[in-house]
Amino acid sequence: MTADKDPAMTSPPPTAVDPRLLEILVCPVTRGPLEYDRTRNELISRSARLAYPIRDGAPVMLPDEARPLEEGEA
Amino acid sequence: MPATPPALFDQSLLRRRLERAARRDGFAGFLRDRAADDACDRLLTILRHFPLAVELGCRDRALIRALSSGPAGASIRTLIELDLVEAFARPAAPLGLVGDPERLPLADASVDLVVSLLVLQWTNDLVGALIQIRRILKPDGLFIGALFTGSTLTELRQVLLEAEAEVTGGASPRVAPFADGPDLAGLAQRAGLALPVVDIDRITVRYDHPLRLMADLRAMGETSVLRDHARRPLRRDVLARACQLYAERFSDPDGRIRATFEISTLTGWAPHPDQQQPLRPGSARTRLADALGVQEQTLRPDGSETVP
Repeated sequence: MTADKDPAMTSPPPTAVDPRLLEILVCPVTRGPLEYDRTRNELISRSARLAYPIRDGAPVMLPDEARPLEEGEA
Repeated sequence: MPATPPALFDQSLLRRRLERAARRDGFAGFLRDRAADDACDRLLTILRHFPLAVELGCRDRALIRALSSGPAGASIRTLIELDLVEAFARPAAPLGLVGDPERLPLADASVDLVVSLLVLQWTNDLVGALIQIRRILKPDGLFIGALFTGSTLTELRQVLLEAEAEVTGGASPRVAPFADGPDLAGLAQRAGLALPVVDIDRITVRYDHPLRLMADLRAMGETSVLRDHARRPLRRDVLARACQLYAERFSDPDGRIRATFEISTLTGWAPHPDQQQPLRPGSARTRLADALGVQEQTLRPDGSETVP
């Protein structure tokens, strides 16, 4: 399978995280708020400049596993 | 910058151990099942409803199993399950998340109950972890935490030290040090948890052979993650001698060996003005002697009682 620009085209639709969980999540580094990026299925911490992945419906809130935000992103 | 205490446990090694345990079939969860049943019993005795609960370290999901098979499940509406290891957290989706109990990704005053079963013994900074737990609890929220403490694996610790010293002429700790159970209440108080109570439960598990015990520890992901431990693997001849010593000293007449697990369960509350508070010393308005219906006796300067 080739990589596609839109992840929704190649992978099954991601399991939605329960809103009761999303509501209380904060960045483990700064304890600042997170924004949910629906297209990339990531939780963005602007204060730590990290994007935490959501894999199979489970947010992975570990700084080691997070993607550093690129220059100019978000 | 605040000085950080030296880290005793290697957290990335812990994660690898747990990942290995998660991949295998047959997670050795009998102690977690027991701790989960105990946590359910405690919830039943507290006549309170906890709308939102979080478990720190859901591992084999012993807690949610125990909750859903008994009456204690009614005390909780929603249980969020957190684990350091993705393979343990994923089955709990959409209410599962991966996170470090020492770096909680949950907002202040956001949950009514925190439960943690046999997980926090591996934290490098237990008071720090308890402070974070207190922060995420709503006022008057409850924490129930079970930890391996004190005499856990004391037999294994002794024979490994002795065998290594005997065979190699030097020894390093192979079994992690555990916090003292009774100290937990003090630690909880330092972390700002109110009305802390600690119960200590000692369990003896019997095995055919010390190697069976070690296999179980591996299957729980509970082998030692002491920081300098991995660099010096246990030699085969040391292991053989340790097994011999174990059988000599800690076996029952039927030849089975004994292993001690000490589980301390700490309960504490996030402070709330309505909780019972201690009175200031000297603020009593009634004499104890009157309440007891006896004559008050004063102390002489040397501490002995005067007889009126």
